[in-house]
Amino acid sequence: MPPARRRSRTTLTGTCLAAVLALATACGGATGAATGPVRPDGELRVALQFSPRSGYAMDTDDAFVLHQFGATETLVNSGSDGRPQPGLATSWAQVDPTTWRFDLRPGVTFQDGTALDPAAVVNALTWVSGVAAPPRAVKGIGLRAVADGPAAVRVTTTRPDPILPLRLSSVNTAILAPSAYRADAPPTVLGTGTGPMRLTAADGMQQAVLERNDAYWGTKGSLKTVTATFVPDPAARALALRAGDVDIAQGLPESSLLEFTEGGGYTNSAVAAPRTVTLMMNQAAEPFADVRVRQAVEKALDRTALAEQALAGAALPAAELFGPAVGWGSQDPPPAPDVEGAKALLAQAGHGPDDPVTVRLQTYPNRPELPTLATAVQGMLRDVGIDAQIQIGEYATQEPDLLDGRYDLFLLSRNYLTDVPDAGSTLVSDYSCAGSYNINRYCSPAFDALLAPLGTTADPATRQEVFRRASAMLTADVVGVPLVHSQENGVARNVSGYTVDPLAKDLVTPGLAVLGE
Amino acid sequence: MTTALLRRLLPLPFVVLAAALLVFLLPRLAGIDTVRAVLRSRVAEAEPDPAVAARLTAELGLDRSWIEQFLRWLGRALTGDLGLSFATRTAVAPQLGAALEVSAVLAVLALLIAAVVGIPSGVWAARRPRGALDRVVTGLSVLGVAVPEFILAPVLVLVLAIAVPLLPATGWGTLPQAVLPVLTLAAFPTALAAQLTRAETLDALGLPHIPVARAKGLTERRVLWKHAARLALTGVTALSGLFFAGLIGGAVVVEVVFGIPGVGRLLYDAVLGQDLPMIQAGLLAIVVIAVLASAAAELAQLTMDPVALSRALR
Repeated sequence: MPPARRRSRTTLTGTCLAAVLALATACGGATGAATGPVRPDGELRVALQFSPRSGYAMDTDDAFVLHQFGATETLVNSGSDGRPQPGLATSWAQVDPTTWRFDLRPGVTFQDGTALDPAAVVNALTWVSGVAAPPRAVKGIGLRAVADGPAAVRVTTTRPDPILPLRLSSVNTAILAPSAYRADAPPTVLGTGTGPMRLTAADGMQQAVLERNDAYWGTKGSLKTVTATFVPDPAARALALRAGDVDIAQGLPESSLLEFTEGGGYTNSAVAAPRTVTLMMNQAAEPFADVRVRQAVEKALDRTALAEQALAGAALPAAELFGPAVGWGSQDPPPAPDVEGAKALLAQAGHGPDDPVTVRLQTYPNRPELPTLATAVQGMLRDVGIDAQIQIGEYATQEPDLLDGRYDLFLLSRNYLTDVPDAGSTLVSDYSCAGSYNINRYCSPAFDALLAPLGTTADPATRQEVFRRASAMLTADVVGVPLVHSQENGVARNVSGYTVDPLAKDLVTPGLAVLGE
Repeated sequence: MTTALLRRLLPLPFVVLAAALLVFLLPRLAGIDTVRAVLRSRVAEAEPDPAVAARLTAELGLDRSWIEQFLRWLGRALTGDLGLSFATRTAVAPQLGAALEVSAVLAVLALLIAAVVGIPSGVWAARRPRGALDRVVTGLSVLGVAVPEFILAPVLVLVLAIAVPLLPATGWGTLPQAVLPVLTLAAFPTALAAQLTRAETLDALGLPHIPVARAKGLTERRVLWKHAARLALTGVTALSGLFFAGLIGGAVVVEVVFGIPGVGRLLYDAVLGQDLPMIQAGLLAIVVIAVLASAAAELAQLTMDPVALSRALR
């Protein structure tokens, strides 16, 4: 799912561009409804928000870009319901608590012409689990893969792992041809995947070109080529779409979305992302060790106003940690603010005009919504008598203090799925007593007991019920205040089959087509 | 002339060395935790893992003293090896070289426009101060100086790529794709060149040799261009070096808006990804270019202006 750096950056430039873009409507521009038949051998041009920063290294977030392009595939796919689906493996079974067997799909060839076989899969999985900093999906599980006959692999883990198939749906575990792997460098990704599109040119942060893989094992699409241009500025992407330079633009400024109407031939899509901005509160120290103060903060915050006014509708108000992006997420609106109730709670906790709550509110700037939210939160807290001094700095610089409990309030944007459609890892790392990323310093034996079945339960429905109950418990204990859920958007023109994937894994699919003669 | 040359060139290596030290120490002075930054640039929400951090620290050579790291970095940089990008894990030098090439093309084209349009405009404007042409040139140049690139760029796109779809709004590699970014980038130096040339030409027209030239029967055009404008050019020439370096390193807005793979965009991405070797190499390259361009412009000025040369020799 979209990691932290997968974000929109509203810069001064962007703001000004957006303002000027608003004038573009009056000046006309390319129009025409999205009509006509699917163009055979169509050529699609896409403006993408995030350029590959790590040379398309499979162990980094660049693996998302490759998977979006349709260049790479994984053994397992994940359905929208969070259940594993067949990918390069047609079926799988748990042999013993620490071993799974995956049957490989017959007739699959890599784009370099070699066949997909157990050796290739073993090679790919061994590489990704052995890098210096393994991706989140396979980190710390002791993953090992060995061939099991001519068409299967066995994958073992150090401890029982009920969601191993889901882990192997992580884009970082995509299988590349053996020829891709080199001694002292990340694997080469030009023409070494198995996907429906073949990456033929990768011009760093500028552009990538893909051609249809006519030897693809599955349904072939109508697109002959895809040219992806990386345009980091959101308003510049909007201008490129308006100028007709591209057919699809992702991650547009909220202010420009209204201008791309169906009447103008545009298809406008927005989906909730599995990402929540939460106001973390340090429970290991005063004043937030006192639940009444945390409750006062919760009551002081108008989350609907934060989403709809402070962020101009670019996000959804959050009632709980998990939102509408996932089946087990809350669909309810957040509770209305209660300023008087907050003041009363602070008074009960011994705070008032003589002993006001004075705290630091820290955040970081590389997600542009965070400083905006910090300012709005500061105002809301002031209304109930909490004086929050805002401090903005680089995240990496602040992280040691956060993890050591040397902070008061921290605004954090966090993807709760960490690459696979399962929230177990996030709940354990962020909220369990031994969690490695427990910024709130929350420790509840009851909560840990609630999470315990996640270590053994594979059934998605049972796991999702645990996620629901865990989220409710975090809300009841006021472990931070989830403020808003992020949204992802994209606009297409003269294109059919375009959808925005909330997990940021899919873009170029066989159903995507250019329309027109 | 040789003496003047030496006086100008001798301090340059020390300037570059001081800049290199500053550039190298920048992350430390800013309090950046390099290892955490690298891990988060590769996987954005990577949770801290001391074992991984230790491996990476050793892999990047960050477990050595900063002096040792600096000397190794500088020694390699002197041989053209700028190290490996933390993000891409590939050599920095080829990426930086390619980006500098793109930015140099942009800067040269912008300066060419500034020279071809700005300088004659300034001279013509000075010919009849407060005349119609002077008012037009002065008005436009004030606008050119005042309107920032982040406004001008989208306005040009709006007009020339959307309202009248003549040119592409983004991209790099074809002539049409270069037009809007070059125009955007050229606006400020062109306007400033026009203003400066106008002012210097007016000053030159007031010098004693101008009436002498007129008394000799030279045409007004010849007096203006040969005796006044030539003097005016020395000031513009001295500034061109600074312009060039500024355009190379300062075209971030233009390169980001138009999606151009120049050094501004490279550094923009490197800063966002906290790719320190790339940031350090990019900054150092810009400093070196600035120093060299400034020195070259100054030397060019000395060859054009005997007064300045004699002053330099004193």
